[in-house]
Amino acid sequence: MKKLSLPWIIIPTTVALLLPLFLRDQYFLHISVLILIYTGVTVAWNIMSFGGVLSLGHAAFFGIGAYTVSILYVDYGVNPWLGILAAIIFAAVGSLVLAIPLLRLRGPFFTLATLAYVEVLRLLAIWAVPVTNGSVGITTPPTQGLAYISFESRQPYYYIALAFTLAAIAISIWIYRSKLGYHLRAVATDEDAVRALGVRTNRVKLGSLLISAGMTGAFGAFAALYFFVIEPDTQFSATLYSIQPALNGIIGGMGTIAGPIVGAIIMTPLGEWLRVTFSGASQGVNFMIYGAVLIIIVRLMPGGLVEGFRAIARKTRRGGKGRGGKRSADAKTTKEGE
Amino acid sequence: MDYLLQTMVAGLMLGGVYALVAVGLNLIFGVVKIINFAHGELVMAGMYLTWWLWSAWNMNPYVSLVIVTPVMFLAGIAIQKFILSPMQNSSPTMKIFVTLGLSVFLQNLALWMFGGQFRAVNFPWAEQNLSLLGINVTYGRLTAFIVALALVLALFYLMKRTLVGKVLNALVEDRETAGLIGIPVKKYYLAAMGIGISLAGIAGTLIIPFQAAYPLVGAHFTLLAFVVVVLGGLGNMAGSLLGGLILGIVETLAGTYVDPALQQVAVFVVFIIVLIVRPQGIFGGSARNAEVGLK
Repeated sequence: MKKLSLPWIIIPTTVALLLPLFLRDQYFLHISVLILIYTGVTVAWNIMSFGGVLSLGHAAFFGIGAYTVSILYVDYGVNPWLGILAAIIFAAVGSLVLAIPLLRLRGPFFTLATLAYVEVLRLLAIWAVPVTNGSVGITTPPTQGLAYISFESRQPYYYIALAFTLAAIAISIWIYRSKLGYHLRAVATDEDAVRALGVRTNRVKLGSLLISAGMTGAFGAFAALYFFVIEPDTQFSATLYSIQPALNGIIGGMGTIAGPIVGAIIMTPLGEWLRVTFSGASQGVNFMIYGAVLIIIVRLMPGGLVEGFRAIARKTRRGGKGRGGKRSADAKTTKEGE
Repeated sequence: MDYLLQTMVAGLMLGGVYALVAVGLNLIFGVVKIINFAHGELVMAGMYLTWWLWSAWNMNPYVSLVIVTPVMFLAGIAIQKFILSPMQNSSPTMKIFVTLGLSVFLQNLALWMFGGQFRAVNFPWAEQNLSLLGINVTYGRLTAFIVALALVLALFYLMKRTLVGKVLNALVEDRETAGLIGIPVKKYYLAAMGIGISLAGIAGTLIIPFQAAYPLVGAHFTLLAFVVVVLGGLGNMAGSLLGGLILGIVETLAGTYVDPALQQVAVFVVFIIVLIVRPQGIFGGSARNAEVGLK
């Protein structure tokens, strides 16, 4: 297991901390907050993919988080910070429905079940008007202050989102290196063999589901407070919060630590740009491009960008040792040696 | 009581169409070993194509099958040749992503071309009621049921009695050996995709006289078809037929007696119950379930 290189943690964190001091443009800050939210959800999503499980149900946990914090705040006057805590718990509990298919199905069928769950919750959120206010959605009150996570400027939002995202990344690194993480990665390679060794694979998978769902719930709750308005078609949108994180993850590199972060940082501004460019009469074109990108990326670089960078890094390192013309020959022999 | 019977018959009619969608999906599973997440979007494509032929050219929706069937067959072949075939040796996750990408693409293509509103074919004949033994059925539903059932039975015949069917069955059993004895595997993959996708398209044509098309309609059909296949057992075509009919009835009952908005929730509940009670499907699937993801 590779050691974490300190500069790779300190430099990006410092840049992220200082960013708002140099760029005060509100729109830019808005995009940055979106990037942080998407990074968080993608990192949470990625915890399930440590175990080789592909979930498209994260919009469900995101939506549960959003509705929990909003309903508690608006209807019961619960402070949003407590609401976020409740959102984590509710999202984890809500994910238990998916535990049934998770423990009985493998691969594609589980993935489909997760996608269907999002749609089911969206329909329930539209239907249960007394609780969710139906299609109209819920608007949180604009009372300002840190206690209510509601501000005039976007800067405080940025720092809260940054804290959440850094926490998510830290949890993800910790899990990756914990016993659970090793078990998960073993399950991804060969579940039957791992079970034969006496690991309770169902417990391992269930653990990753609960953690991943709880984290996603927290980001759903934060996003609800950030946007002030929630409604079923947005908060339970499979395209926005299930497929988008999965796309970020696959572009960056599924199952790696850096992959989801890289993917979210690249794809979120691109997605925003596409959305703004193709609006009005050409609605839908932005997501058509998404679909096409998904097909092409999977064809051309199934390992994602992180894997691609590593391959290039390996090549240049090897090329440096053997000089000049020997470079390609060197690379070839090592390849065969592997 | 009469009302209950009436509802169940309406559901049965709809269930015939679901069975048609599901046997196509089941065939693709079995032969090409790919889980097609875009299957419902191809039903949607059939719906929109029929709607377009009707609104732009005033074509009778049932006559448009002459165009929809070959177009969807070719679409199936194109999808296999250009999108799925290069992915044949990739991991299952990557295959999911590819068909998922296709589904996102088609959904939003529909949004772009036809807008988000409901597109219905108002064909008066399909709305008329036929009264049989005190039960009313619209001609649209009855036609959909009869044509769908005939096609499902035709597929059974193809699989059981013809040489093409024998080869397809051989591919379901063991594609490596099938390849070794000289079967042009890739050609039969194309055939299976062509047949499966054209059945989905035909289902779209059959259903549009009483169910409007909109860009997200496909997701509903994909879920339905998957639940039907799990319910009836993977690789079990007769199971898919029965599963389709059952699900049609369940969905219509839920829509009538609980809430029309919760039809899809009912389908999901059935899915979860089946998984808890009989994950191998009510009618038992083949032993190769593990290969495509069912334990």
